[in-house]
Amino acid sequence: MAVESPSSSNFFELLGLPARFDLDPSLIERAFFDRSKELHPDRFASAPAAERVAALSRSRALNDAYQTLKKPVGRAQYLLERAGVTIGDNERLDPAQIMEVLEAREELAEARAAGNTAKIEQLQTAMRTKRAAALSDLEKAFAADDTAGVKATLISLRYIDRYLEECDAALDEE
Amino acid sequence: MLLQISEPGESQIKEACKQRVVGIDLGTTNSLVAYVADGSPIVIGEDPIVPSVVKYAGKDVVVGREAVGVDGALASVKRLIGRGMKDIESVRKLLPYELVGDDRSVKLVVDGKEVSPVEVSAEILKSLKLRAEAALGGPIEGAVITVPAYFDDAQRQATRDAGRLAGLEVMRLMAEPTAAAVAYGLDRGSQGMYAVFDLGGGTFDISILKLVEGVFEVRATGGDSALGGDDLDRAIATGIVPELATLPRAEVTKLVAEARRVKEALTDREAEAFAGKNVRVDRAQLREWAKPLLERCLKACRRVLKDAELTREQLDGVILVGGSTRSPVVREAVAEFFAKQPLADLDPDQVVALGAAVQADVLGGGEQQVVLLDVVPLSLGVEMMGGVVEKLIHRNTTIPTGATQTFATYADNQTGFDIHVLQGERETADACRSLARFTLRGVPPMIAGMARVEITFLVDADGLLKVMAKELTTGKEASIEVKPSYGLSDEEVERMLIESFEFAETDLALRNLLTERVEAERILAATRGAFVSDAAASEHLLDPEVRVAGDAAMQALETAMAGDDHLKIRAAIEQLDLATKPFAQARMNRAVEAQLRGLTLDEAESQVSH
Repeated sequence: MAVESPSSSNFFELLGLPARFDLDPSLIERAFFDRSKELHPDRFASAPAAERVAALSRSRALNDAYQTLKKPVGRAQYLLERAGVTIGDNERLDPAQIMEVLEAREELAEARAAGNTAKIEQLQTAMRTKRAAALSDLEKAFAADDTAGVKATLISLRYIDRYLEECDAALDEE
Repeated sequence: MLLQISEPGESQIKEACKQRVVGIDLGTTNSLVAYVADGSPIVIGEDPIVPSVVKYAGKDVVVGREAVGVDGALASVKRLIGRGMKDIESVRKLLPYELVGDDRSVKLVVDGKEVSPVEVSAEILKSLKLRAEAALGGPIEGAVITVPAYFDDAQRQATRDAGRLAGLEVMRLMAEPTAAAVAYGLDRGSQGMYAVFDLGGGTFDISILKLVEGVFEVRATGGDSALGGDDLDRAIATGIVPELATLPRAEVTKLVAEARRVKEALTDREAEAFAGKNVRVDRAQLREWAKPLLERCLKACRRVLKDAELTREQLDGVILVGGSTRSPVVREAVAEFFAKQPLADLDPDQVVALGAAVQADVLGGGEQQVVLLDVVPLSLGVEMMGGVVEKLIHRNTTIPTGATQTFATYADNQTGFDIHVLQGERETADACRSLARFTLRGVPPMIAGMARVEITFLVDADGLLKVMAKELTTGKEASIEVKPSYGLSDEEVERMLIESFEFAETDLALRNLLTERVEAERILAATRGAFVSDAAASEHLLDPEVRVAGDAAMQALETAMAGDDHLKIRAAIEQLDLATKPFAQARMNRAVEAQLRGLTLDEAESQVSH
């Protein structure tokens, strides 16, 4: 989890990218590599101390920017934050979704207790499909400028990702 | 303004150290030195491999080939550098020399005199320096020395000291797998996603890098730093002579040396006789002895792939590095695991030195434009209430990096905030490596949770950590610089990583226990507080029966907390909730209605999960 340091400027600007959600991952990576070539501390290995310090903090901000923006969820969250919308630790899903998540969790817990790897993998695949759908919802919500929709989708994604982590943990036990 | 300063600075560097910089691979078994000539790296010497063996003979020091097999010669010193006695307990018995030392450092005893691993390593480096000066016709002005990706700060520092002691200007310490990737990237024009499988004499590194147009981005790194060809030699010797560990040291050395010879012979032959034991060893036999060691390698490979979020199919190639990857047994296992024929067209013994030479050339103002993006090898975090670790910076984060997080006070009127800095992958503080502890004092007394402390971690390009804490209402600050892996041995790093996976379940149970205990304490305090304030209020909401039931439930909860079953604590919490429900409802009715209407998911989960 990269956290914006108080002094850092806009992550999109830092990478020289437009502040929008639908960015090609390879474009973001290229921007990061290009900037790294200019800003990496190695390039200032023998420069005066003040300059080395400046290079270090710029490089740090650049790495944080990339870490934050390279994946859709981080990028969406960052855009939302910049729009003044925050997502708290105890955000509510709507009741229908709560039931859905609870049921999926119960199923996973049962499969885990029974050591049923095939079932866990099946649940994992189903949840991955759901995740892909949520990511596409995210894209649509951004396209429609639907901030509430973005926020709701990000909250669902948080639960989906937590669930997928549990699937991983369950499979690791095998 | 900064840019104006940088121009003359850079051109000065270019003029000052344009020439005579070298890359050095300081290995457990062998060492090499290389430099860049006309744009491409080459190793120095007709026989470029210098065995990492040192023999002190009175005033004279013999290094390399001539010292091999000589009585009292010192080998595999890399396993000791930057280590304390405790760290090397497991290899100590198997090293053919006597050691003295404490928790911070070890020394080798030679003819009654003590010599440090740094000094011995410096002798090897001096010999490489002389070799390079003879070949290049003048003094060496700078060197890049490679270290295993998993080397910790103490080991890196010690390696750097050895360089200085040898009279070298150490421009940089570079991760061995990264150096290998650089050599391949430049020599073969390799682009894309590569795994570097680096099995040396005493260390194993696995790194995944993205290579693109002069940028080498480490995506994930892992390893098993107490695992190498030496261990396979011992496995062979133990296979032949099961009582190996109980034999005298000289005997062990002899048998292990013969095991190594047999292992090397099996690279080109199907079977080989083990001298003095009337046994023939074939490849099938070797495969079996190597299996547990290779399984440890592959386990690390699986984890690194997962960390990099890649499948084997997404790799464009696998690069073999280290003398141990010459063995067909190792190659077969790698080819099978990654489902592709590994690349070994650059000499696996030389490739690290070649990559180091390129980086030396870059830092020395050469023509190559190469950027290396390295990572933090182990997560960094702070201890939370109840002994749980909150990670601020995760392993495999590109450095330099930083992270900030805000924490709330736990108790009412708490005026100090203890900050315990930790490194490792486990969930609990006592299973991670403790790096530093400090206290932020002068927090204004407030209700629990009201005072907030902001903690900032900063990691620089050398991987050094700085931690700062700030109380947000008063702006009071404290800061400390810690070396993230200070005193952390290879084996510890590796053990911590392996344990975090093997004991993930135990950890989870412990974490649940700690979390429930904290929760229980909070609920007890809240209930007591509510009882007290109700007694003091003019209008009592607390029914005497509910009070009795509540007291009983509180006592039951305290009993449950003394045990270590988180489910029992959870049940007791729920019992207390149930017992005090009428009272809570009465309070709630009186309270502002708007809040607490919807059920948060976490609340819902906590109700159905048991």
